[in-house]
Amino acid sequence: MAAEPYDVIIVGSGAGGGMSAYHLTHAGLKVLLLEAGRHYDPVTETPMFNTNAEAPLRGEGTPDKPFGFYDATVDGGWQVPNEPYTVAEGSEPFVWWRPRMLGGRTNHWGRIALRFGPLDFKPRSRDGLGYDWPITYDDLAPWYDKTERLIGVSGAAPPRGLTNTPDSPEGCLMESAPPRAFEVFYARAFKAMGIPVIPMHGAVVTGHMAGRNTCLFATPCGRGCAIGANFQSTTVLLPPAMATGNLTIRPNSLVYEVELDKAGKASGVAFVDRKTGEHHSASARAVVLAAGSGETARILLNSKSSRFPDGLANTHGMVGRYLMDSVGLTVAGQFPAMEGLPPTNDDGQGTQHTYVPWWGYDRQKELGFPRGYHIEIGGGRRMPSMPLAGVLDSDDLSVGDELRANLRRRFGSVIGFDGRGEMIPNDDCYCELDPKVTDKWGVPVLRFHWKWGESETRQAGHMVETFLAVIDKLGGKPLGKVQTDGAKAISKGGEMIHEVGTARMGARETDSVVNAFGQSWAVPNLFVTDGAVLVSSPDKNPTLSILALAWRSSDHLATLAKQGAL
Amino acid sequence: MSQPLPTDPPPEPEAPRPYVSRIDRRTALAWVGVVGAAAAVGAGVVVYGRKFGGQPAVEAKGYGTDPDLVKPAPAPWPRIMTRAQLDTAAAVCDHILPAAAAAPSARALGVPDFLNEWVSAPYPDQRKDRPLILSGLDRLASRSQRLHGKAIAALSAAERTALIGPMAAAKGADLAFFRRVRRLVIGAYYTTPAGFKDIGYIGNVARARDPGPSAAVLAHLERELAKLGL
Repeated sequence: MAAEPYDVIIVGSGAGGGMSAYHLTHAGLKVLLLEAGRHYDPVTETPMFNTNAEAPLRGEGTPDKPFGFYDATVDGGWQVPNEPYTVAEGSEPFVWWRPRMLGGRTNHWGRIALRFGPLDFKPRSRDGLGYDWPITYDDLAPWYDKTERLIGVSGAAPPRGLTNTPDSPEGCLMESAPPRAFEVFYARAFKAMGIPVIPMHGAVVTGHMAGRNTCLFATPCGRGCAIGANFQSTTVLLPPAMATGNLTIRPNSLVYEVELDKAGKASGVAFVDRKTGEHHSASARAVVLAAGSGETARILLNSKSSRFPDGLANTHGMVGRYLMDSVGLTVAGQFPAMEGLPPTNDDGQGTQHTYVPWWGYDRQKELGFPRGYHIEIGGGRRMPSMPLAGVLDSDDLSVGDELRANLRRRFGSVIGFDGRGEMIPNDDCYCELDPKVTDKWGVPVLRFHWKWGESETRQAGHMVETFLAVIDKLGGKPLGKVQTDGAKAISKGGEMIHEVGTARMGARETDSVVNAFGQSWAVPNLFVTDGAVLVSSPDKNPTLSILALAWRSSDHLATLAKQGAL
Repeated sequence: MSQPLPTDPPPEPEAPRPYVSRIDRRTALAWVGVVGAAAAVGAGVVVYGRKFGGQPAVEAKGYGTDPDLVKPAPAPWPRIMTRAQLDTAAAVCDHILPAAAAAPSARALGVPDFLNEWVSAPYPDQRKDRPLILSGLDRLASRSQRLHGKAIAALSAAERTALIGPMAAAKGADLAFFRRVRRLVIGAYYTTPAGFKDIGYIGNVARARDPGPSAAVLAHLERELAKLGL
C-alpha cells in the first residue's frame, strides 16, 4: 500500500476515477483514491440468484432502495441521507442519482457500452447547434479500442459502416448471445420499416476472456456481478490497481475543496469523514476530480480563494454550465403473437442482445428536429416481480384457474421500447451553489436549473410516434395511456442518470474548464476525468466514452509526471 | 438465518380454518415485541397472540439505505393487521388463487402474511394502500357476519365466493380494493419458486452459454410473423 507523499489524489472511484486509478498506478505513480461512500465488495455483497420472495416487499422499490431492494446502489438513489440538493424556483424538474459506495454507479449501471461516433464530436460543424469538441473521433478511437479490450464488451459483428455508429476493429468485441424470442420478433417490424437492428454493445463477458469469468446468462446486471463477468470499477479496475501496490483507497471521504499552494497549483484536497465527521487534508503533486459531473462541479465551486473568488477554474463562469442528460421515455406494448410460446429461458446476458441505432441522420430536415436517439428494447420471460399483473388486460379481473391460465399465456408477451436521445446543451441547464442550503457538514450544496429545448421535446414526440407504429405493425396494443405530446412524455432532467458536461473540455480557456486532456486551464496539475468534461451528450450512453477519455487523460497526466512537468 | 417461506408447507385441510401464519417464530416474536404473546404450534410456525395487530401510533422505520442484500432480514416493521383482518386476507387469497391441480394456494405460500407486510410498511406507496386494503378487509368481515352470521374464516368455499366474487363487478371502494389486492396477491404469488413453476419461468439458473430460442420457439414466431405479414 502506498503512503504519503502521494503523487496523485483521485476523487471518486466510478468509471472516471476507477480508470484513472487503474492507469496511474500501473504507470508507477503513488495514488490516494478518496471515495465518498463506503467500501463495497461485489464478491460477497451481490445477491446473484436471490428471488424477489426473499426480499422485503418482494423486492419492490422504496425511497430507501428506489430501483428495487436488490439494486446494487448503497446509501443513495434520488436522495442521499444528509446530502441534499435543490432545484431552482421556476425550473423544470431535475433529479440526481448518487450512490455512496466504492465503484459508484458502475456497480448498478445498464452496461450499455456504445462508442460516440465521428459526428458526435463535431455537432456544431454538422448542423450549427451545440458545440464542437477539441478532439475528433479518431483521437479517441485507439482509447475506445483499449477500453473495450480491458473491460470486456460484447457485440462483435461484421462491419456495417452505418452512419455515426462506429464498428469496433477486429478483436475488440466478443460475440453477443443470440437474439431472444422477443428480439427476433421485433426485429422483423424494424426491418419492414427499413431500420437496422444490430447487436448491442454490452459490457458483459460473453465468451472466453483471459483473467475474467464468462457470464452465467442469468441474474440482472443491476444487482452487480459477484463473478465479475460484467464491467464494474470494483471488479475490473480497482483490484488490479490495488495489486500494483501503488494504490491507497480511503472510503467515507467526502471531498469538498481542492487546496492550492502559494504558486497557485493544486496541493491537495480537504475532505470530511462521513462516519466520524472529522475534517482532514491530503496532499499530492496532482489532483484528479472524478466525483461525477455534479459533485465535481460542486467541489470546484466550493474551492474559493482570493485568486478564484467564484470557485476554482471558474474565472470565465464555465463551471456548472452546459449540464446535459439524455432524452428518455418508454412505451410498452402487449403482443398476442408472443402469447403461449413454448418454454424458453430469456434471462440472457444482462444487457439487451440487440438494439436499434439512430437511423435518421440524412432525414433530420423532414423529421423536424436535429440529432436522434437509439432504442433499447426489453421483454421476454424475465423473473416475475410485483407488477406482473400488468401483463393482463386492465379489465381482466379473473380469479382461480382462469387467472392462472391467463397469466401463463401472457407471461413474456409485453415488450418495452426505451428511447435514449441526444440533448443539445442550452443556457437554461446548469448547476450552481445554493446560497442557503448546506449539507450535514456545512458545505454548500448544488442548486440545479433545467429546461428541455424544443429539439429534445420534438425528438421525444418522434420516439412515441415510432414506438406506436412498431407496436401496431407487430399486432400489439400499447399498455396504459400513452402520452403523445413530447413535451409531456419526456423524462425529467437527470432521470436518465447521464448528467454530464459541467466542466467541459475545449480548445480555449475562455469557453471551457479543461483542455483536450482533461487538464484544467487555470491549474495545470488539476485534472477532470469524469462525465463533466463532455462537450455534447449524444444518444449513446456516456460510460464507455468516460472510460476512454479518462484513460487518455490519465496517460497524459502520467507522461507529464514522468517529465517532471506537474 | 431463517427463510421467510417454508419450503415444505403442511397439507391444507379442506375445512374452513383460521389462517396459520407462515412466518418463522423468531420473526413474529420480534414484531409482537413480547415473547409470551405468541405460542409456538410447530417448527417455524406461530399463531399470533392477542397483542398482535393495530395501527401504529408512530410510523416504524424502513430497512434503511444499506440493507444486507445477500441474506435479507425479514422486513423489520411491526405488522398491523388484526387477527380478523389476517383471516379475511387469507379468505381473499383463497378466492383469488386457491390451490390448483399442480400448484399450491396463495394461502399455502404465505401470501396473507405478505399482504400484512405490505400494508404495515412505512413507505409512501404502501401507506397509500393501507387504508384501501384494511377498510376493504373490514367491510368483507362485517358482511360475512351480516350475510352468513359467522366469521369469514368459517365460511364454506361457496359462501366465500358469494361474498367476495361480487366485488369484481362492483364500483367505487369495493372495486378499487379488489383490483389492488388482486395485483398484490398475483405479484406475491408469482415471485415465489412455486409461482415460477406455475407461470413457466425457467430462468435464474447458471448456464455455460445462452443457446438462444429453441427451434420450437422460432417455429411459433415464424407462424405468428407470417400472420402479421412480417
